Amino acid sequence: MINAATENKPIDPMEPWREMRDVYLDAWSKTMVDMVNREDYAQASGAMLDTYLTVSIPFREVVEKAMLKTLEQLAMPSRADVISIADRMTNIEMRLDDMDAKLDKALAMAVPQRAPAPREPSRAPHQKKALKTKAAKRRKT
Amino acid sequence: MIEAQVVTDPFTDAAHRLKTLTKVMTTRAAIAQTPKELVWTLNKAKLYRYIPVLSKEKRHPVPLLMVFALMNRPYILDLRPGHSFVEYMLNKGYDLYLLDWGAPGPEDKNLKFDDYTLDYMPRAIRKLKTISGSEEFSLLGWCIGAILTTIYASLRGEEGLRNLILLTAPLDFSNKQNLTFARWTDERYFDVEKVLAAFGNMPGEMIDYGAKALKPVENYVSNYLKLWDNLDDPRIVESWHAMNTWVTDNVSLAGGAFRQLIVDLYRKDKLMRGELVIRGERVDLSRIHANLLTVIAEGDHITPGCQSEPIMSKVSSADKELFRMSGGHIGIMAGSGASKHTWPHISGWLDPRSE
Repeated sequence: MINAATENKPIDPMEPWREMRDVYLDAWSKTMVDMVNREDYAQASGAMLDTYLTVSIPFREVVEKAMLKTLEQLAMPSRADVISIADRMTNIEMRLDDMDAKLDKALAMAVPQRAPAPREPSRAPHQKKALKTKAAKRRKT
Repeated sequence: MIEAQVVTDPFTDAAHRLKTLTKVMTTRAAIAQTPKELVWTLNKAKLYRYIPVLSKEKRHPVPLLMVFALMNRPYILDLRPGHSFVEYMLNKGYDLYLLDWGAPGPEDKNLKFDDYTLDYMPRAIRKLKTISGSEEFSLLGWCIGAILTTIYASLRGEEGLRNLILLTAPLDFSNKQNLTFARWTDERYFDVEKVLAAFGNMPGEMIDYGAKALKPVENYVSNYLKLWDNLDDPRIVESWHAMNTWVTDNVSLAGGAFRQLIVDLYRKDKLMRGELVIRGERVDLSRIHANLLTVIAEGDHITPGCQSEPIMSKVSSADKELFRMSGGHIGIMAGSGASKHTWPHISGWLDPRSE
């Protein structure tokens, strides 16, 4: 059944092209998924990564050494120094967290054990008024 | 009434489409908008508490802590207003907490699962208990977050863990034929030590490339064509923009944790075999007694169902359920069908167990 919405929809000349494109993409996608799941893809990508690392590591080491010397000469902290400070900061944070835990525990224990504040025995409103007037007279004398 | 005449000049239309395309490709969407407060921090990790929308009397007494993966931002759980799991659960009356691992720096390259599960998580949970006033809590772990919550549940589960929800949890690595990542990271082809010696942490861009290369045509071609085809539909553009913002916001994975993930899990399947040792303690899945909900995404190419299902027979939980959803690894929680299927199911399972 063709409904009104379908009838009023303008004809899109690109629609058949889009459908064809999607069919092609589906087929391409399946081929690529099969390819990346193959053993030789794993081997090839591993080899590429290994080559990149083998080539880049010596350069990286040279840059790191040069940077370290430069920082030393400028009397500035190296990356290792900053990392060491960060480690110590984390340890301090853990100690603070431990103290926070102990404080929370102490507070939790203290609250139920705290002696209740002495409460005025409950009195009727007229008795409270009488007490207030007696106290006022005492203050005057 | 005078009807405004809409002029559809092809050049104006093309200019408008180009403007929209440029905007979504070059800007960040307004994501993670639900109000929250920072209640605890340790190193890069942060514990957030979402501001409850219901009064204390109407809320569930058992709080819920969400733990996401280490190498992605957790705001996928609160993607955008009107389409947010966080928003949904707050409206259902949960006292909701999120553990954000943050981005590890070079100083964190030695962080391992041991640190995350036995230092960070217990401390964050202690704070959660203090704030919520509840000795019991529920844990929701997604992806690598599900590995961490499973390890925690086994080692420290007796410390008040009532409910455990595992979403697309990669726990069983025995079925190597179905695991593309296992093939790529096989010791014959992939030298973990060499990678970590070069980078310290596993760079987020490399992890992102790995995830996208599992379905290269979808991720590098179809995804953008989908946007191009729907540039006139603000609803789809907004959704695409938010998702793209999340996908392109990569986080490195701490070197120590990456080594454990590849060597101990992908290669040796130690968790499921009961051989994983975390700071001297063996992770025994039969020590998990919490109520368990495992959610599997049937179209998940990152964590196929065969990785999540076997835990059901390993745990000692008397109350356990396996729920299969159609959708992908992220789509089941952030896709258009999530609010109609996954979220109501999680809430429906958790509600009676949070009283």
